[in-house]
Amino acid sequence: MRLTLLTLFLTTLAGLSAADPVNFNWEIRPILSEQCFSCHGFDVKHRKAKLRLDTREGALADHDGTKAIVPGSPEKSELWKRLLNKDPDEIMPPPEAHKPSLTAAQLAKIKLWIEQGAVYEPHWAFRAPVKPSLPSTGPEAIDTLIGRTLAKAGLKPSAEASPEKLLRRLSLDLTGLPPTTAALDTFLAARKQNPETAYQAAVDKLLASPAYGERWGRWWLDQARYGDSNGYSVDAPRSIWKYRDWVVTALNADLPFDRFSIEQLAGDLLPHATEAQHVATGFHRNTLLNQEGGIDVEQFRIDSVYDRVGTTGTVWLGLTIGCAQCHDHKFDPILQKDFYRFFAFFNNQDEPTLKVKDSGQDAASLTKQALGTEKELATYLANHATALRQWEEGPAASAKKLSKEIRAILAKPLARRTPTENAALYAAGPGNNEEAFKEIYDRQRELQASLNGGTPTLVMKERATPRKSFLHIAGDFTRHGEEVTPGTPQTLHPFKPGGAATDRLTLARWIFAEENTLTARVIANRVWQAYFGRGLVETENDFGSQGSPPSHPELLDWLASDLKANRWSLKALHRTIVLTRTYRQDSAHRPDLTEKDPDNRLLARQTRLRLDAELVRDSALTASGLLSHKIGGAPVFPPIPDGVMSVGQVKREWKTSQGEDRYRRGLYTFTYRVSPPPALSVFDAPDGLATCTRRNRSNTPLQALTLLNDPAFVECADALALLIQRDGLASAFRRCTARVPTAVELATLSPLSARSAARVLLNLDETITRD
Amino acid sequence: MTDLHHLSQRTRRHFLRDCGVGLGALAFTDLLGRDPTATPDPLAPKPPHFPAKAKNVIYLFMAGGPSQLEFFEHKPKLTELNGQPIPASFIEGKRFAFMGSSHRVNLLGHDKKYQQHGASGAWVSDMLPYTAGIADELCFIKTCQADLFNHAPAKLFMNTGSGLFGRPSLGSWLTYGLGSESSNLPGFVVLQSGPRGPRGGASLWSSGMLPSTYQGVPLRSKGEPILNLTNPTGIAAAEQRKVIDAVRQLNSQRLAVTGDDEISARINAYEMAYRMQTSAPELMDIRGESKATLDLYGIKDAGEASFARNCLLARRLVERGVRFVQLYDTNWDHHGGVTENLQKHLPAKAKDIDQACAALVRDLKARGLLKDTIVIWGGEFGRTPMGEVREFTGRNHHIDAFTMWFAGGGFKPGLTYGETDEFGFGPVKDAVHVRDIHATLLHQMGLNHERLTVKSQGLDLKLTGVMPAKVVKALIS
Repeated sequence: MRLTLLTLFLTTLAGLSAADPVNFNWEIRPILSEQCFSCHGFDVKHRKAKLRLDTREGALADHDGTKAIVPGSPEKSELWKRLLNKDPDEIMPPPEAHKPSLTAAQLAKIKLWIEQGAVYEPHWAFRAPVKPSLPSTGPEAIDTLIGRTLAKAGLKPSAEASPEKLLRRLSLDLTGLPPTTAALDTFLAARKQNPETAYQAAVDKLLASPAYGERWGRWWLDQARYGDSNGYSVDAPRSIWKYRDWVVTALNADLPFDRFSIEQLAGDLLPHATEAQHVATGFHRNTLLNQEGGIDVEQFRIDSVYDRVGTTGTVWLGLTIGCAQCHDHKFDPILQKDFYRFFAFFNNQDEPTLKVKDSGQDAASLTKQALGTEKELATYLANHATALRQWEEGPAASAKKLSKEIRAILAKPLARRTPTENAALYAAGPGNNEEAFKEIYDRQRELQASLNGGTPTLVMKERATPRKSFLHIAGDFTRHGEEVTPGTPQTLHPFKPGGAATDRLTLARWIFAEENTLTARVIANRVWQAYFGRGLVETENDFGSQGSPPSHPELLDWLASDLKANRWSLKALHRTIVLTRTYRQDSAHRPDLTEKDPDNRLLARQTRLRLDAELVRDSALTASGLLSHKIGGAPVFPPIPDGVMSVGQVKREWKTSQGEDRYRRGLYTFTYRVSPPPALSVFDAPDGLATCTRRNRSNTPLQALTLLNDPAFVECADALALLIQRDGLASAFRRCTARVPTAVELATLSPLSARSAARVLLNLDETITRD
Repeated sequence: MTDLHHLSQRTRRHFLRDCGVGLGALAFTDLLGRDPTATPDPLAPKPPHFPAKAKNVIYLFMAGGPSQLEFFEHKPKLTELNGQPIPASFIEGKRFAFMGSSHRVNLLGHDKKYQQHGASGAWVSDMLPYTAGIADELCFIKTCQADLFNHAPAKLFMNTGSGLFGRPSLGSWLTYGLGSESSNLPGFVVLQSGPRGPRGGASLWSSGMLPSTYQGVPLRSKGEPILNLTNPTGIAAAEQRKVIDAVRQLNSQRLAVTGDDEISARINAYEMAYRMQTSAPELMDIRGESKATLDLYGIKDAGEASFARNCLLARRLVERGVRFVQLYDTNWDHHGGVTENLQKHLPAKAKDIDQACAALVRDLKARGLLKDTIVIWGGEFGRTPMGEVREFTGRNHHIDAFTMWFAGGGFKPGLTYGETDEFGFGPVKDAVHVRDIHATLLHQMGLNHERLTVKSQGLDLKLTGVMPAKVVKALIS
């Protein structure tokens, strides 16, 4: 009886009712993971007192008469006693663990959970998503789920944002560019007919725009840790922009996300792989390359393989597999051996460079032609061997006017000359006067030049003879443990390679196996995050037990299921999200929300988001009318302040682009990893050194100096000043913010010179913010 | 990362609600009925975990790895056995740089004269006469140990506690943990001298997963001191002020409509930027320093970029409340090549820095700043007792034991800590790992290295990482 009263007291304290069953995954696992698992978790080597609390079996095990948990009886449970104990030698977690003390509410929950039988559940992310059955579908389904949580909290959603704000938000989110005044006018006019149709038409038009692939391409390139140089000391430039262009093209074509992924992880292993599929494997060639003198090359090759393992885990599985490089994972059921089995998939590649033909070229047919011509040439030379010999023995061959190259060939013994050298010799000698020879020879040279030409890009290639892979003791590549074969973490869905090969392709297909509970959730969450500033799972790169549980589990499952049901179409996912009422809400703060939902987790309003670094640039270029809409191609060098390129060991050249390349989107700016373009890095652009699944959004004085004084932004301001002189202030204001300025705003701007007014407009918080 | 987003939001809200300080210019309320006289500044000073012994750090980074054996490690045995192979037991199972090429196993002696200096009797060679003169101010650690022996990874390791890219550097951790005392200069400043930038470049002062607010800001010795500090051509100061005022007015109106704290943060950022436009050039202009001061540092031309000038600037930065000043002097590698050897090159490098290092410590002390300022001297690693032979002689990278010195900020003056074997190869007593150095530095700044964390991928990430690290109590008072 007394116990019941105490329970009642504690549960009231925690705002709980004894009748509500405690949810292990949402309420208990986060506490245990944070407080207990680092010493009493999955990692057997660091497990203290042989006690594990991450499984029910472990928690209930008998240790010389004491049990950590006795279901139904907190007072008999050692865990409960230790939590309450005040003795520093007894209390758990121990003081030296520096864990924050449990709150009264957390204690009450644990007690209630033990009383209710200490039921364990598998971690939520390892259970298959269940699509909630709802009366509505598509965007309405999302609104229904968001609406339910809001209603529970006694909150109402915000009204729809103004049409101008809405189109600007939509344009920036889908294409990374603010709407032109013409697009605004069209939209506002169409709304007069039918606001809903007008909005849907705008969505479809923007999704079909090639700028969509550029905007979302950058989203993906962050995760791919893309950069245009090798990193480390030397940081030499590299050519891998064909991969960047592949990403943009694939997204514009809405290549289903499963194929999009498989081609990047293992495009080279696909049957009859196309050139584009080889280019796609550049994803995992975005690792750094250390060219410092005196290094052990193998050490840094292994480092890049580690990076591939960690990045694959983070990007596609939302798991911190990389944590198991040195030891078993402390929080999630991932063994160190699992890490090295995963490692084995990525330890068997050569890292070649592929020459990519310029568009319109058919490499296969070129190669075929070249082989044919080579044969013709060989036949011709065989038939004219005597002529060559006679020429070589004659006076012409010793003439001084012969090129150095030819003289070098002549100096070689006959047997050591290659067919190409023989042909070159013949061309310099008797062939010079033979039309028939020259025709074949020139044709051959042209074909060879085409074949050798093109743009180099870094790709993956599976080795014919596999490397052996070993567990590295404590993550040290010089200390081999047991030999391992490719495989996936035991705790995840089963790996069934089927055929004989277990290579990257089987791994990629395993990621997209129907039974995988993670990938669809992880990707849907990461897309959602881009629209609302925060994922439903806030720890977008950790869906393990240390990650935060989803704020709207049903919605996450709905999105994941819908993504799969739509055959992994990202465009369909984008479309569904931007059509929701939730997305279209106004972003202004509300007094009632400031109290009840200060962090806007429940989404009773939209969130204002400072634009990504590249979009800050793109917006200024668009507003000032300077933007080049050219898509793809080699990276460009827009103006940067003097002296930026000398921060690294090797001073790199920055030859400022001229013509339209000066005004290309930020996506195309050449990025040296060690000396990144300052106007981008100051706005938190990732440096391509490691995968980035979520950017910071800082707000600093250096950003102010950049917008005020950076030569590229001054150039935009000067162009915008001309537009002010031509079209007036209000029009320029609209180019920057999409809305018509208020009288007060105009009054602030009008005393200024056109140049100053233009600079003010480009510096407004509103101009660099998606409202 | 997650928690940081909250932290910044929470902090701002806290300031908005609870702190009535900041922008007097905004005399109206926003749509939430609040008075947005806020200073939502993520760099606002924060209380330490416990009372601090020091407030600022000046880190003199000798990029490339200076030789402890030519400067501080008096090892007669090394010279005696010059040319003989080092006993195999020393190097068994060890890995070095240049293993496949110029790495050698023969001991290399030297002709440097060593003397004991000051009351403390610290050993300093005749290559560093000025440093020898302040020996009683310095706390030497002879047994520093690192994990990585290639330049860029080792520099990252020394700065971030990890050889992996993407981690916050020491200066970022400190400004994240303590904020900045300066309202018109960045909290973490980087100065450079030498023929090139350090290997690893901007990653060495990166804020990693912390917001770029905490990243090091390079102060440039040529041209404008901070990127984009100067008004565009044709824009006079008065016009710039007009622009900034108009931006503030329009942003304030927007703040009133949206209620978004980010806007008040941006308003403050513009004010700080404006102040920096004046304060940074003022900082860089050392013509007002006395001739005696310039002579002390060995500065001949006040306008010329040099390590000595950077040392003087470091003092001026600390005077202005800048939390962490890092000086990179490059070209300290000396394998024995034509331009990087023990014969000519190292003595020249020593001469470049010796007087100014000593002057900085003396100057700080004379101005009463040394007690609050930790001065650190060292590279990313040391050099091998074995010689390397290229065109000249040199030494290879070495991580088993090397020397760093510390001054001020509660580090015990006149202490020599740690002992190495007869060749200076490895510690025989009191090894101090880089992690221990980091833990000790944070401790002096009032921060517990176990508690200064940021959430990243489910882990509470620390400067000192996951391996054990300790505050070396013997070094500090």
